[in-house]
Amino acid sequence: MKKHLNFHPIFIAFVSVALLGASFQNLYAQKAKNTVRLKAKYVKIMDGEIYFDIAAAAKVGKQNLDVSHVDIYAYNEVNDEEIELGKTTTNAKGESKFVLPNLNALKPDSTNTYTVNFSFKGNDTLKKASKSLSFKNADIKAKIITKDSINYISATLIDTDSTSPLTKTILNIQVNRLFKSLPIGDEYNYTDENGTIFVPIEEGIPGVDGILTLEVVLKESNDYGTVKAFVKAPVGVPSVEESTFDERTMWSPRNKTPWFLLIYPNILIFITWGLFVYLIINLFKISKS
Amino acid sequence: MNTNDKLINDLAPQKFGKLGVIWTSTLIVIIIIGIIAYIDQVIKGQVVTNMRDYALWGIYISNFVFFVATSFVGSVTVAILRLTNNTWRTPLVRIAEIITLAAIAMAGITIMLDMGRPDRLIYLFIYARLQSPITWDVIIIPSFLVISFLLLYFPLLPDLAILKDHFKEKNPVLSKWYGKLSLNWRGSDKQKALQAKSIKIIALMIIPLSLILQTIDAWLFSTTYRIGWDSTNFGGYFIAGAFVAGLGALVTIIYIVRRVYKLEDYITEFHFDKIGKLLVLACLTYLYFNINEYLLPAYTASVDEATHLNTLFSGSYAIPFWTVTIGGIILPIIILLFKKGRKPLPMFIIGLIVVLSSWWKRYIIVTPTLLHPFLPIQGVPESWRHYFPSLHEWAITTATLAMALLIITLLVRFLPIIPIQRTADEQELLKTTKTIEP
Amino acid sequence: MEDNNKNSRRKFLDKGLKVGLATALGGLAISKISKLSAKSNSNPEEFVELMTTDGTIIQVDPSEVQEINHSNTQEPTYNVREGMPNRKFVMVVDLARCKNALKCQSACNKNHYITGDNAWIKVYKMQEAKDTAPYFMPTTCQHCDKPACVTVCPVDATFKRKDGLVLIDNERCIGCRFCMAACPYSVRVFNWSEPDQGEITVNMDMANANHEYYSPDYAGMPSLKGTIDKCDFCPHQIKNNELPHCVSACPNNVFYFGDKYEDTVSNRDEIVRLSQLLKDRNGYRLMDGLGTQPSVYYLPPVDRLVDFDEALKNYKEFESVEKPK
Repeated sequence: MKKHLNFHPIFIAFVSVALLGASFQNLYAQKAKNTVRLKAKYVKIMDGEIYFDIAAAAKVGKQNLDVSHVDIYAYNEVNDEEIELGKTTTNAKGESKFVLPNLNALKPDSTNTYTVNFSFKGNDTLKKASKSLSFKNADIKAKIITKDSINYISATLIDTDSTSPLTKTILNIQVNRLFKSLPIGDEYNYTDENGTIFVPIEEGIPGVDGILTLEVVLKESNDYGTVKAFVKAPVGVPSVEESTFDERTMWSPRNKTPWFLLIYPNILIFITWGLFVYLIINLFKISKS
Repeated sequence: MNTNDKLINDLAPQKFGKLGVIWTSTLIVIIIIGIIAYIDQVIKGQVVTNMRDYALWGIYISNFVFFVATSFVGSVTVAILRLTNNTWRTPLVRIAEIITLAAIAMAGITIMLDMGRPDRLIYLFIYARLQSPITWDVIIIPSFLVISFLLLYFPLLPDLAILKDHFKEKNPVLSKWYGKLSLNWRGSDKQKALQAKSIKIIALMIIPLSLILQTIDAWLFSTTYRIGWDSTNFGGYFIAGAFVAGLGALVTIIYIVRRVYKLEDYITEFHFDKIGKLLVLACLTYLYFNINEYLLPAYTASVDEATHLNTLFSGSYAIPFWTVTIGGIILPIIILLFKKGRKPLPMFIIGLIVVLSSWWKRYIIVTPTLLHPFLPIQGVPESWRHYFPSLHEWAITTATLAMALLIITLLVRFLPIIPIQRTADEQELLKTTKTIEP
Repeated sequence: MEDNNKNSRRKFLDKGLKVGLATALGGLAISKISKLSAKSNSNPEEFVELMTTDGTIIQVDPSEVQEINHSNTQEPTYNVREGMPNRKFVMVVDLARCKNALKCQSACNKNHYITGDNAWIKVYKMQEAKDTAPYFMPTTCQHCDKPACVTVCPVDATFKRKDGLVLIDNERCIGCRFCMAACPYSVRVFNWSEPDQGEITVNMDMANANHEYYSPDYAGMPSLKGTIDKCDFCPHQIKNNELPHCVSACPNNVFYFGDKYEDTVSNRDEIVRLSQLLKDRNGYRLMDGLGTQPSVYYLPPVDRLVDFDEALKNYKEFESVEKPK
């Protein structure tokens, strides 16, 4: 009885100190922790992978700094359940790309909406953060049509699960280039009542062997995210190689010296040093005789 | 033979007097200082010079050009005078050959001092690009070194045999060396025939080789776009310049050697007179090229060209420019046109002025052009807009000049300054005890 | 009664001591736990030993050592002397927009670890004649198609690639400086002394651990004493699908960069057809009459949005590389 009585107060004291200590710790740490904002964009490549472009930025004082080399966890939220999909780490610029092979890796809810949550668990200096993305599945079917020797690109945008066309939606047509994609067609290409656009491809766009990679893009739609369809077609002008790299020029490396420089100087050197050899032999002859 | 003995006694190498020892020691000290400065340069990098990104070449290069130019004297004195049957050249040829050899050897060494990565010297051979003028330089300089050496060596063989005998009692060790180097020369018909044939070939080869050498040296500059360098005139300009520089060096050294070794009987006032006339010819030719190079562009004077010419005529390089032009070209022409001017002492002074002017002339060719590039000099420290060599550069450059003089000194010390056998042959031919004065 | 009092006192003291002990223990426990999760800087035995580029061993806090994800960046699959296939890189500089902000210069200096006195990109204050208008002209290496510098190099240290870039192999360069004499645009710089890239060589190794040390694609990383450096058009950026540093750093979108074979150039905000841009804005090349065929096009400074005198305030006549104070 005595022991029992003695135990309780001590136990309580221990616990209260522990709690106090912990809360002090928390309080103290919270003063130094900065808010983190996560940005996430969903992109679907037709007949390809899906990925999420993630960016983490922290507000430190008045500045926005990239949060580099931290783990971001991805979850598929279905019916109040969170299934872990994996994690990714931000690079030096606070950006990361989380890739999934296709949409089948995710489970939609009853309305055919997919929900993916990204969360940063926080650390000593940064608060926790999370970002939730919800989107439905859309498809773009694109193809090249040639009519009266003019090339057109025809693309149809449909909601995959309901298979109904998405009308009056803006699609962008681009040509894949080195750093960015070059827009062609009108600034706003609206899909018609069949969810289709029909855009002429301007002539004279150069590409390797005349082959262009055209992109039909649904850009950052609220419901469907970003969907990209790629079409590779020889609708461009073959680019003409201008490099003199394979020729023999004055600025080529030594294995492509111009012929006259290879021939004449070497002849001169051969004759000169041949004569030197002859003269030195003469010296030996003088010595021997 | 009595006359021959006198000849040999007069012309055989003598030991250094006190003056000789002091002279040689001074040269060695200067060289050592230069080597220390160079080691410092290799360790710290070429930041120890005053060259920077705009004045990217400095006195290392102008000194190199000077050495290349001076090496022209061999082909002038030995080959050109030979081909034009100027027999009075005999007492002068050995010294000319010695100067040529020393100059081209030092040219090869000097250019290596300018490399940022001398540890990669071998790359110039194993990775050489034939399109580059530097590769042409890498080919011609060793070639010219070989021919200069052969030019000196072949005629030397009989003299080495004579000296072997001469020193047999006095200095057996030296005698043995002379013997080895004389390649068993006994004056047999076969040997003489081989020697004559070889010398003929050498004399024929050395003229195109030296012209090519001077031209390639000029093309190091005129293959660029730079104003002041991009001139079609440069090839001939450098050849004429070499003509002047080589003869100037010859006159100066001949005078000193004549005085020190008391060779007044062999190198007479007649020879100075002849060389003086040749020097006037050289300076006139050089004057012609200078007019084409500096006066003519002033006629059209594009903006860049005008800037360059103004820098030389009245700008920051005016004093050196007019000094070397007047002192190095005009003055010799005027003074040497008079017989009195062609006496030994005035010739020596003129020769000295010509040598110094030649050296500074090449400084004026290299530096001003680099300091007015096409785009304005901005974004770099103010000191980068000027160039004057640093102590390291002076030390290293002076050391190369000292080394050239040391090579000449040592060769003069151990080799007969005037060809003994040839002089004897000529005297025999004309039954006279003096040297030839047709 | 007395006994009870004594007992209570004893009990109180007993309790008190035990509480005190518990508190102490609890506090200690909390601090220990918190220390475990924090990043520790204090234990010297935990430092990682690394070697810098010049062979010295340094101790680095393990928290600063990052694991490099080799799969992210691409290894060059092309011959570094031949270049990226099917490309011809060009740059367009819009002189009408240049306000001499010099952000291009500081970005280039920083990312190439330039520590000398001469930057690789210089913004010149230009004025053709007394009566013509002054303007600022950013000048990089022009990566000429008929490069005078490459023609004169005796050892093949600088070379022209199929993708248009003129690069330098600092392991080959002998420091003769003939290329510097030959270049009419004065874009080459020389490392007259040991480049004091010092502590940043550690960062260099970290950031570029994937590339073969040393490569002409990574100019200036490191710079070598007695060799030449110059603008490289940032192939190390292009490989990662990013624009060269000067292009992306410019706040006024003065630069465009792209592939001539695609007839497209872009910067952070814009993407245009090169031929259209040159046609509309009358693009030209610097000193085209020399025949060097540069890869940099300039758009004339007309209809300028720039107040020249304002821009002049940022002009530093004798400095192009900021030194650490």
